[in-house]
Amino acid sequence: MAVPVRTKSRRRQQLEEAALYPLDWVEERSGLVGALKYFLFRKVPGDISWGHTLGSATLTAFLVQAITGAILAMYYKPHPDTAYESIQYITNDVTLGWLVRGMHRWGASVFIILMFFHMARVFLYGAYKYPRELNWIIGALLLILGMFEGFTGYLLPWDQTAYWATVVGVNLQGTGPFLGPFLVNVLNGGAEIGVDTLSRFYSIHMLLLPGAIFALIGLHLWLVIRLGVTSQPWSPEAAGSGEPEEPRPAREGLVRPARSGGSE
Amino acid sequence: MVEPHGPEQQPHAPPPSLWPVGFAVGVAVLLTGIVVGWPVAALGAAIAIVFGFLWVRDLTGPAAAAGREPPPPVGARPATEAGHALPLADEGEIERFPRARFLEGATLGLSGLIGGLITLPVAGFAIVPTFVGQKHEDVDIGELDTFPEGEWQVVTFMEDPAEGEVSRRTAYVRNNGELEGQPSLTVLSNRCAHLGCPVQPSGLLDEDASETVETSNTVVTRIPATPAAFTCPCHGGAYDLEGNRTAGPPVRGLDRYEYEIRDGRVFLVGAYSVGSVQGEGKEALIKRYDLMNPGLHVDGPSAIMYPIGPRR
Amino acid sequence: MSVQRKKSRRVVEREAQFKQYRADVQSRGKPFYPWAMFHDAAMSTVVVGVIIGLACVWYFTSGEDPHDVGWLGPRYAEPADPGTTTFVPRPDWYFYFLFYLLRIFKWPDSVILGTVGIPTILMILLFALPFLDVRRERRIVRRPVAVTALLLTAASMGVLTYKGAVAEEATAAGSEAVEQLIEEQNLPEGVRPGLELFLRTCTSCHTYAGEGSSNLGAPDLTTIGDTGRSVEQFMQILREGPGAMPSFANLPEENLRSVGEFLEASKGAG
Repeated sequence: MAVPVRTKSRRRQQLEEAALYPLDWVEERSGLVGALKYFLFRKVPGDISWGHTLGSATLTAFLVQAITGAILAMYYKPHPDTAYESIQYITNDVTLGWLVRGMHRWGASVFIILMFFHMARVFLYGAYKYPRELNWIIGALLLILGMFEGFTGYLLPWDQTAYWATVVGVNLQGTGPFLGPFLVNVLNGGAEIGVDTLSRFYSIHMLLLPGAIFALIGLHLWLVIRLGVTSQPWSPEAAGSGEPEEPRPAREGLVRPARSGGSE
Repeated sequence: MVEPHGPEQQPHAPPPSLWPVGFAVGVAVLLTGIVVGWPVAALGAAIAIVFGFLWVRDLTGPAAAAGREPPPPVGARPATEAGHALPLADEGEIERFPRARFLEGATLGLSGLIGGLITLPVAGFAIVPTFVGQKHEDVDIGELDTFPEGEWQVVTFMEDPAEGEVSRRTAYVRNNGELEGQPSLTVLSNRCAHLGCPVQPSGLLDEDASETVETSNTVVTRIPATPAAFTCPCHGGAYDLEGNRTAGPPVRGLDRYEYEIRDGRVFLVGAYSVGSVQGEGKEALIKRYDLMNPGLHVDGPSAIMYPIGPRR
Repeated sequence: MSVQRKKSRRVVEREAQFKQYRADVQSRGKPFYPWAMFHDAAMSTVVVGVIIGLACVWYFTSGEDPHDVGWLGPRYAEPADPGTTTFVPRPDWYFYFLFYLLRIFKWPDSVILGTVGIPTILMILLFALPFLDVRRERRIVRRPVAVTALLLTAASMGVLTYKGAVAEEATAAGSEAVEQLIEEQNLPEGVRPGLELFLRTCTSCHTYAGEGSSNLGAPDLTTIGDTGRSVEQFMQILREGPGAMPSFANLPEENLRSVGEFLEASKGAG
């Protein structure tokens, strides 16, 4: 390879070395470059499909939420007297505030939908089976935390929908036997929704839950990398089924996998 | 510091120790304390004394002797003989070095202590205040004479004016006339006993006759109404005019406010939950219970699920 | 070294299969980058595009006023009013299924099933799934129970969400609803006061041409005029409150009459 470049090769080599030096520097001290390389060039089954992209799509939606949320926090004021006005200010007055808030608002729905789709995909593919049981449980936890993010975030605009949906939501959890009535006080920060409730929900919504979600996503991804992703169960060349009896030509997919024989 | 290689140099090197650092920190805190105040100075002195003691003990005690022992060459331990001066750390799994065991325990113990010291106050701070200090203001909703006998009014007020709009509540108030010389009122909360949605009056609301009056401690809005029933728009709960459940999922009757008449003015002085009501108006027999959250049964078999609740 | 326990056949088989999976991926797999990652990147681009698109449609079709709803809902509702007597609360769409579940359990002693019982059971099943289904089989056609369960769950969630989304409620209908009903239902102009009062009072239990709440099972009144009752008879019904219906005898005579006239004129759109 690189035959035509040979004339410039010395110069090019020097350039490459200069460019790679910082990477080598980092690698020598942290091993992170190697880890990234492992992540990028690890093998995945050759027949993975669009269904497998739902997980990373969910992650993208979550990152959109994290970034837009952090920016919204710069303008949002979590107090019953100011919250509604700050939402109006963000939506109507701040430059591009409507876009950031709109992305956060609709990103929430997209995030939840994608979590359900991702879960349905994993279920259909039987990807929760040995040895990936633990990752299913982490995923289920993430789903519940995600729903709680939705619940706590719904109060923040402090409008009628927000307030009353939260009243019902809190009282609903309060009907749990024995401990329910106490849970109400813990959630509300008092017997009823009061001055402290909004900042309480805000803290849970933007610090506690996202922290937990980030940590669990890290674990989730680590297990995916460690255990690999499953093939489509109906694929004739599914990994885990041994050599296919008669190798078929490459199946559908936007990019046809290069199956030129003998490269491995 | 790079040690020159050679076994003969090593005995002179002091053993590595963190105690001097602690001692230095203690002295620094002591000096800061002179500026800041005596408790800090005392803390600094204590730290300095403790670490100083440990340092001195380190230099003079048997551990120091161990430190001066030439470290065994890697990979070639000296043959263990009976009566070896000190058991070494790599003696093997079975013969555990007591000091290592102490350090293990101390590390776990200290970590647990730190965890506890951080978690307890933080968790307490997040949870305990939600149960204590629930105060109830007595709310003045206006003169008794402004509630005509036998007529309903939708009364909106602030439960705790200091908290502001967030404590705004609505009650349906009817003056029942006098019972044994005492004025009798029916004051129903508009929070549904199912899950706390705002219950609406089914009937006419005379918005044109609505008035807003300032009372001794809150601003009250009052709208005359002629309801035939109360209904909840969330999940379809329905109540009669005494607040009894007539249809839908509410687990009990509408909560009621307690009232007192002071100098001819009506004060709301708390609230209570209602199982059911027999009779109407001033003759009503009310099965009352401590105020409970919406959705909780106060009587009937399901009530055993909620034996206790926080004071509200 | 711990004591070696004898592995069951299932364990041996699944370990062998995972080993086979590893070997297959190693021999026939593709590197994650760029092949799979391209798909991921393309999908994520679509996701971000959809989010931005929704934000744009939401913003540009709505207005600063909370009543200017646009295509995807208002920018914000009215400010929170804990003392409201007119607001009709609704949750976010992904809680619609739960919201409708609460309407299904309309007996007081069953409330806890909808609030805590069913959600808890679903959650336990969710977490326990990998331990309930321990077969190695992954092919869909050989997992009839699992696939049926998935379809049933998806279908019931879909139906509950849909029902929750379209659950109509008695709202203090605005003047546009009055105009619309008069036109669509061929009502004479004279019943306008009765119609207004009806929409304010009766639709919390009754439905009328798609308005109102069917929650309590009270009859639909769109064509009640076809029963041939007179205005006086309707007024009598209002005063008595037959069956579960409360008595409206405390309403002034002229209000009762206007509602009676409106009901008498209600003969459907046809």
